[in-house]
Amino acid sequence: MKFFRSLLAKYMLIIILAISIVQISYLGVAIFVLGITKTGTGDFSSGVLVESDIEEQWHAQAKNMTNATDDAITQLFQKWQEQFPTASMFWVSEEGNLLTTWNVKDQLPAKWTPAYTTQFIKERYGDDPFTVIAFLGDDISNGFIVLEIPRVAFNPPLIKVYDNYGNFLFFGVIAVILFFIVVSLLFFKGIRKRLLHLQEAMEIRDVDGLPIEIQVKKRDEIGQLEHSFNRMVCELRDSKQRQQKEEQLRRELIANLSHDLRTPLTKVRAQSYTISKEALSEEGKQALKAMDTSIVNIDALIENLMSYTLLMASKYKFEPKDINVIRFVREHLTTWYPVFEREGFTIDIELQSFEPVEWRVDPLWLGRVFDNIFQNVLRHANSGKYISVKTESTACYTAFIVEDHGQGMKNESNAKGAGIGLSIVDVMIKGMHLEWDIHSDHSGTKIIIKKSAKLEK
Amino acid sequence: MIRILYIEDEKEIGQWVSKELTERGYDVTWLESGEGLEQHINSKDIAILDVMLPGLDGFSLGKRIKRENKDLPILMLSARTAVEDKIEGLHFADDYLTKPFHPDELVARLEVLLRRYQKSDDVLTLQHLKIDTKDMQIINTIDEEEILLTGKQFYLLQYFIRHLNQILTKEQLYEGVWGESYIEGDKTLMVHIRYLREKIEINPAKPMIIETIRGIGYRVKQ
Repeated sequence: MKFFRSLLAKYMLIIILAISIVQISYLGVAIFVLGITKTGTGDFSSGVLVESDIEEQWHAQAKNMTNATDDAITQLFQKWQEQFPTASMFWVSEEGNLLTTWNVKDQLPAKWTPAYTTQFIKERYGDDPFTVIAFLGDDISNGFIVLEIPRVAFNPPLIKVYDNYGNFLFFGVIAVILFFIVVSLLFFKGIRKRLLHLQEAMEIRDVDGLPIEIQVKKRDEIGQLEHSFNRMVCELRDSKQRQQKEEQLRRELIANLSHDLRTPLTKVRAQSYTISKEALSEEGKQALKAMDTSIVNIDALIENLMSYTLLMASKYKFEPKDINVIRFVREHLTTWYPVFEREGFTIDIELQSFEPVEWRVDPLWLGRVFDNIFQNVLRHANSGKYISVKTESTACYTAFIVEDHGQGMKNESNAKGAGIGLSIVDVMIKGMHLEWDIHSDHSGTKIIIKKSAKLEK
Repeated sequence: MIRILYIEDEKEIGQWVSKELTERGYDVTWLESGEGLEQHINSKDIAILDVMLPGLDGFSLGKRIKRENKDLPILMLSARTAVEDKIEGLHFADDYLTKPFHPDELVARLEVLLRRYQKSDDVLTLQHLKIDTKDMQIINTIDEEEILLTGKQFYLLQYFIRHLNQILTKEQLYEGVWGESYIEGDKTLMVHIRYLREKIEINPAKPMIIETIRGIGYRVKQ
């Protein structure tokens, strides 16, 4: 990724811009201040006033004043006034008389006693206004002159600028900050919008249950993230296809295996059928009948074995839907009825409608469950010659009950293989969130397949 | 005579089925693959196909046959028993029988298909009734009188005959004859069956033709 395309670069640009704006604004203020001072409106004297300089000047000029007349002093005061408009000045003679005053606002005594003079000096020392006292000429005979300048005049020019143009500067700074905030906001809003878009895209699912690839518009960090996401979707799709292919192969293998086992079985059936048409002894007929039963049993066993293998590997197709289960079982019984009838069973069917009549199951699975149970009745409980299929409905569950009068499961009949058939029943029933119970004793077996009402909720 | 086209690559099974069907009065043409199918197909009444065949498999052959001969019933006879295979087969075929099978079952299924496609020229005999399945003329053999049925009774009996020897539930019958979904507790079907029995049974109180299968439905057995 090129650095200049990155979000980092963009953000750094914004920061640099913000810092530059601050710097430029300082420069602007400096130029502004300089501009004001250059135009020289009296309020702002150039440069910074230094107290010691003023003190020195005042002392020097007082010392040079050899001719201490009223006019000369007034002239001096006038000159200073021009330089310091806020300054006030006055002259006190050797005897303590207040002589010339200039711009004096405070009440001053006409006669300066030594005590007052001392108090004045003490009060003004280091205080506001800034006060300089200097003797006129070389000796003290001409008295002294006093200069008072308010301390404000000594403030640097920038403070004066703030005082005068404060609001303007304040709003300027606010505007700069706002500008920075707005730019940052737009920047992050852009990022946020794209992240949300990415999140949305991650949640949408295609028909195959996988997320949809997204269009990458920019090549920054989020763009890279989108790229990675797309790559991940591709990998997921590949893996799913691979899995489906494996599943397909496994099913194919099992189907072929089952086919290859059934073909010779069919040949055995063909041979036995051909033999059955010959004139046979009673023993021969018995043997053929046993052979036929074995063929049917092996067929069922192959089927169960294949189903069990697929079930255990979770490769057996499962597509649950809501079905009217009474109707389903009744229609399923139409194919089993003639089989039991042929075997001379007493068949007792009582399917009363219950609520809720819809169960969420895979019809092929439920059909298989009943097939296995009926097959077991046919093979292992044939001696009882009885089967009943009934419904039961209580507050807690709705159920189907299959009952036979065989010898029970403990006294297994000669035909083995009930185990795998019932294992399939068990896996399928649990897979469909149903429950089942077996009650078996020497007088028969009762199998209850039920759907709990709690689960329904 | 019903002419059957039978495709099966396993020699032993092929010979056995051909012999068995021939003995039962069918005219069987047995091929070991789909090769040469075209020259036979137009002159046949029904086709029996295996799935695993050299060259084109039974599914492809069946689809091709069905595309060109819509009125030719096809029965798949295969050792492939997976649900997926059955479903694929039943997309175009009319029935799917798995191996190992009993020849009686094969013949019964063939007969159902032939009746459904109205290819069996047999006159059906049910107890004392003689029914011409082509124009559904019903003769009472006791007095040689023709029994006349109303529209619904006629369709009901026809539906039973099309599903001869099969148990039909109330729902299946109602939906098959009336073409609407059955509502639990509806007595219409029972009323019609009673009327039908009054017309065709010798003793409607002890029906011999339309059998009641308690808890499931009805059956007409030959």
